[in-house]
Amino acid sequence: MLDVLISLLPVVLMSLYVFRGYAAKQIGICLISCLAAEALFVKIRNKPMSLMDFSALVTAVILAMSLPGTAPWYVGVIASFVAIGIGKIVFGGLGMNIFNPAMVGRAFVMIAFAGTMAASGYERAGSLVDIITQATPMDAFKQSSVVASLPSLLWGLTNGSLGEVSAFSCILGGLYLCIRRTASWEIPAGVVLAVLVIGGIDNLVSPETGWTVFHHLFGGALLFGAFFIATDPVTSPVTVKGKWIFGIGVGALVMVLRLFSGYPEGLMFAVLIMNAVTPLINQRTIPVPFGGV
Amino acid sequence: MEGLKDNKIVQAWLVLLLAVLFGGALSGVQMTLGPAIEANKINETRQKVPELLGPSSANGESLDIVSRSVNVDRQGKKVFYSVYEASVNGKPAGWVAKAVGQGYADKIELLLGLDPGLNKITGLFILEQKETPGLGNKIVTPEWRGQFIEKSIQSPLEVVKTGAETPYEINAITGATISSRSVTEIINSAVKDLKKPLSGQTRPLE
Amino acid sequence: MADQPTSMERFIQGILPENPVYRQLLGLCPTLAVTNGMKAAITMACAVGFVLLCANVMISLIRNLLKPHLRIVIFTLTIATFVTIADRFLAAYMYEMSKTLGPYIPLIIVNCIIICRCEVCASKQPVITAASDALGQSIGYGLALSSVAAVREILGTGMFFEIRVLPTAWPDWVIMVLPPGAFLTFGLLLGWVNWMTSRYAAKKQVKGSL
Repeated sequence: MLDVLISLLPVVLMSLYVFRGYAAKQIGICLISCLAAEALFVKIRNKPMSLMDFSALVTAVILAMSLPGTAPWYVGVIASFVAIGIGKIVFGGLGMNIFNPAMVGRAFVMIAFAGTMAASGYERAGSLVDIITQATPMDAFKQSSVVASLPSLLWGLTNGSLGEVSAFSCILGGLYLCIRRTASWEIPAGVVLAVLVIGGIDNLVSPETGWTVFHHLFGGALLFGAFFIATDPVTSPVTVKGKWIFGIGVGALVMVLRLFSGYPEGLMFAVLIMNAVTPLINQRTIPVPFGGV
Repeated sequence: MEGLKDNKIVQAWLVLLLAVLFGGALSGVQMTLGPAIEANKINETRQKVPELLGPSSANGESLDIVSRSVNVDRQGKKVFYSVYEASVNGKPAGWVAKAVGQGYADKIELLLGLDPGLNKITGLFILEQKETPGLGNKIVTPEWRGQFIEKSIQSPLEVVKTGAETPYEINAITGATISSRSVTEIINSAVKDLKKPLSGQTRPLE
Repeated sequence: MADQPTSMERFIQGILPENPVYRQLLGLCPTLAVTNGMKAAITMACAVGFVLLCANVMISLIRNLLKPHLRIVIFTLTIATFVTIADRFLAAYMYEMSKTLGPYIPLIIVNCIIICRCEVCASKQPVITAASDALGQSIGYGLALSSVAAVREILGTGMFFEIRVLPTAWPDWVIMVLPPGAFLTFGLLLGWVNWMTSRYAAKKQVKGSL
């Protein structure tokens, strides 16, 4: 778990650099609320304190990174309590949860506070931080076919959720995770592969949009999700074959949601849907022992 | 006697008796309540008519409302509109048309008020919608609907993101451009379809 | 019949100890579907209460004429009749509410609570017992519906019975008036009721052993 926190460092630093006070505020709110929620629910269940296993911290950071910096304070607080309470504790605590806790919290506030969490909620006209006055690249493309430049997507000089904007810092942290073997490289590889294939087909079918397969790869929450959210060992399959299926499934669902749904981005829903079928993937891909029936 | 007792019809005498009794009771209920229910259904849209024609239409006098259905040929497809024609003392006071179209989530059904000369919109009311709560369902708010009042229908209306300036522009709801566009599209096509059939008979009572 | 509960006991049991929603988990479809506002929930509970009371009394009156293999037909016939009366009544006098509740009023016909009470109680007990049983169950059902509806309406709209109870600065939790909110609220309340019951039972046991 400590490895995950270390790997999230570049993303957190980048978000602090890009969004300044907005990022600091959101990270602070999520950290305090997640730890408070963990302490509260663990006490209710009469279990030994589990604050020191870092899992609540990881959830807090991932949640904060997936929220827009402009979201009001109560969004972070409610998302944290839902993430820890409904996402994790009701299933029996760490290791028993079916869905990624951070994504459960985010999905809850996304539907509950549609106004502040929809693409338009990311924009705040007249903010001192320049980037926040712009539309997010995914939404600008969906609504008015404006194509962001690839370097700005790569370095993170666009508006978006705190952690998703800089593809470079996501790759940096993600590679560390994979080298340390804390995360299985098969999952992000599967996601990227699916996006390359489906994005490539989309490019061939409609090249005139200017939104290339690399925009699909570097834009939105794709890399952040592929490295940090989809790789959660509790909610992803255990077998190598299963991990490939999981990764490709997430990537394919993201592309389906991006191309055919009303939402500009679909990573959260893609991960949640694949979480739901993880037990099935596990069951179908457990290898038969040698000599077994 | 034994044969009679085994007979299925005889065994079911209670079921048959109850069925007849209940049937009678229900027809009694229907006879008493039926007219009230029918009246509710008709009033549902009729009550909205004065509001949709604007405050100046009736001048405190009671409106005569005649409803009819208008068939329009839209590119080979037959389209039906329920149209309410309102008049005060024989003088036309305006039209209210019920129009249906596809929204973001499901069908949107709305009532559109037009002035007697078919020049401008006098009112808009959303009857049915299932748009996203918190975003798209703001189409029912009076603030948003109010934009359409007094808009000219000489040319189609257009949705802009913010800062509508020209008389043909409508501000979209933040985060719900598709719902805003859908409503505007429904109005545009209803106006286009109805202009001809209605303008030929603006003063049918004379 | 000596160990059968009395009519008063049946009445009390329906409210909490054998609550149709929280204890028997019956009639969940309307519990989830019409509880995004207190008004709708109370109207629904009243409609179910009316049907339940009438059906129980009716079945109890004819209980000695029932034939085992035809009883379900008669239950359904009776329930359907009273549901239709309730439906028509709402359409005539509460038209807006009848449109809000939509298909859920006619669907009372297949509500398990009513056929369950007809089968378990009314078809075997005298009229007074059957009627008090129906009243207890109806109150229990009403309590369950309004508990879910209160949470959902207050969190989802900041209002209670469509009267604003929370400051206008309250950010509406839109998810609570949507179907996911129904599942979450009901699940959490059910868990809470079970937790309280087990704590209560544990306390009672400790006291008993002393």
